[in-house]
Amino acid sequence: MKDYYTRTLRNMLVIRVFLVPFTVLLVVYGTMIYFFGAYSSRQVKNELVRIATDHRNLIDQFLSEKAAILQFTVASFSRDQLRQKNYLEMIFKNLQIQSKAFFDLGVFDVNGRHVAYAGPFDLLGKSYAEANWFKEIQNAPVYISDEFLGYRQIPHFIIAVKKEEAGNAWYLRATIDTYYFNDLVENIRIGRTGEAYIVNRSGILQTKRRSGGRLMESDGDFVKYAVSDQGKTAFFSTGGWRDGFLYASAPFQQTNWQLIVRQSIGDAYRPLLSSILVSLLLLLGGSLLVVLMGFLMATNVATRLKSADMEKREMKTQLILAGKLAEVGEMSTGIAHEINNPLQVMKSEVAMIQSLTDDIGPAVADKAPDTLAQLMDSVREIGDQIDRCSHITQGLLNFARKCENSSEPIFLEQFVPRMVQMVDQRARLENIRIVQEIESELPKIVSDPNQLQQVFLNLFNNAIYALKGRASPEIRVRVTKNDQQILVSISDNGCGFSPETMEKAFLPFFTTKPVGQGTGLGLSTVYGIIKGLGGDITLTSEQGQGSEFQISLPLESQENANTQSHHTAS
Amino acid sequence: MPLTNVLIVDDEERFLKTTQTLLEKEGYKVFTAADGYKGLEALKDKRVDVVVLDVKMPGLDGVEVLKRIKADHPLVEVIMLTGHATMETAIDGLKLGAFDYLTKPCDIPTLKKKIMAAHDKRSAMLDKIQRAKFDRIISHPMEVFSKEE
Repeated sequence: MKDYYTRTLRNMLVIRVFLVPFTVLLVVYGTMIYFFGAYSSRQVKNELVRIATDHRNLIDQFLSEKAAILQFTVASFSRDQLRQKNYLEMIFKNLQIQSKAFFDLGVFDVNGRHVAYAGPFDLLGKSYAEANWFKEIQNAPVYISDEFLGYRQIPHFIIAVKKEEAGNAWYLRATIDTYYFNDLVENIRIGRTGEAYIVNRSGILQTKRRSGGRLMESDGDFVKYAVSDQGKTAFFSTGGWRDGFLYASAPFQQTNWQLIVRQSIGDAYRPLLSSILVSLLLLLGGSLLVVLMGFLMATNVATRLKSADMEKREMKTQLILAGKLAEVGEMSTGIAHEINNPLQVMKSEVAMIQSLTDDIGPAVADKAPDTLAQLMDSVREIGDQIDRCSHITQGLLNFARKCENSSEPIFLEQFVPRMVQMVDQRARLENIRIVQEIESELPKIVSDPNQLQQVFLNLFNNAIYALKGRASPEIRVRVTKNDQQILVSISDNGCGFSPETMEKAFLPFFTTKPVGQGTGLGLSTVYGIIKGLGGDITLTSEQGQGSEFQISLPLESQENANTQSHHTAS
Repeated sequence: MPLTNVLIVDDEERFLKTTQTLLEKEGYKVFTAADGYKGLEALKDKRVDVVVLDVKMPGLDGVEVLKRIKADHPLVEVIMLTGHATMETAIDGLKLGAFDYLTKPCDIPTLKKKIMAAHDKRSAMLDKIQRAKFDRIISHPMEVFSKEE
């Protein structure tokens, strides 16, 4: 029942004190994650777009520069000059000094015939009239082709420029080193999976893709991000967390290619993911700690509240008990007094009868000696019973303690062993060990030795009675002191008190002994004496384990204590 | 045994009667009074050596009676009889000049012993006074006629 109470209290504390702030924390955390996530994804997008744009610009510049060089060349030299092989080779060498990107250089006449060539292949004299690039260059001064195989059957692309000279057009064409160009794009790396590549309008790869996809192959993903709005930088995402990709595409100005920057979603959001993971772990660990601490604290508080509650309850029962005892004390003095008066009358009547029988004794002794003897016996018995009653009223009055105390200095160091001595013989008969733990240098107390003796003897008698038939019986007498009191504890490992009997232990006439063996006045007398001496007595006991009487006696005489308390009161 | 005059003041009529009979058998001269007023009245016109006085009585309280006795008849010895609940008043009585106290119920022999002791004390006191008077008469013989005790 009590455990249930503690549990409920603890749960209530945990919920109120910890779960509510914890919920708030969770909400705050969730909100932060949401905004941080949104911010991060924007960052990721911007980053990809920025990389795409930057590199697009770079490559655009590269292409326009190469085109410009070719334009400069055709503008500077006439067709006849360039048709001379050594002249063309000289120019080619100069171009290669300027940029390793130039792979070969060729001059074509108006019909697309290769009239001069500088480079590693044997392409001189071949006709390019049907080549795609040759058709395209007819309409524009500069043309940059897509990757194609051509005569050499190797993927490459060319930059061609057209020159009108005296009504006749001729063309200069440079092949761009595929590897050189490829490196420009392929070396772009973002994170673990981020890569860049170039596709043309129909999704044919113009550079290698690191994650798979050779030159001039069709990009399988092209349909996913192909857009109608060709002129602008764009951002797409496809698929989910595991297999999805983010794309940023930037169209070139010089050609109809697009630079694509691609990164897997998982990779792009890895920092976000790991930061969420870390904070989640922290949150989890922290909340685990909080819950643990909360649980411990709540348990602690609950136990403390419980013990406080029990203390309160105990105090209350003690108060009730004290009140009850005082009430009973008041009543017992009244009863004792009222009974003592008739007893007095009876006593004198008995004395009267005895006197009268003495008078008539000689006269009737001869006639009815037996009757006389019986009468005498009967009268004596009445006298004994009166004494018995008187003994009981005496006990009652001892409980209420309205009698004079003598005040003598008592040294408990000598007094207690003397008391033990008095019961030692009896204890030894019952195999009871009496242990004395008496603090040395105890100050003397001023009290009534006769009454204290009665206290000790009563308590020892009770202990001996309680130890009857117990295993390894022992009585322990401990005398200690604190600031204002001498504390005497008399404990035994006997049968102990049940909670009900403990409540009534000090009440007069309450006894657990069989009828005729005890009047039930022993402990009540002890109580009365200790109260009368200005001390206090409490009983703690567990049934079957033993009991302990704790007596506190004032160090100073009662008068002093009284005046002191008056001082504090005023 | 010298004749001792005893006055018993108690509200228990039967106790008065029986104790009176018993003590008279023993050779005491016994007067009784059922309350404090009657007791004080009796003291006025009877020669009493020892008063046995119950502490708790209706009407005039034992301690009050004691005070008056001691005021009017300082040489009369008083034994307080207490039902124990009034122990404190009995002790107050000692301070006010009572000879001793007895707790109820008390034996007749005990009572007799206390009465004798009280009487002895009174006799000793009277002796002393007598002797003092005697001494005075010897030194100032004319004073015999000036006033009675």
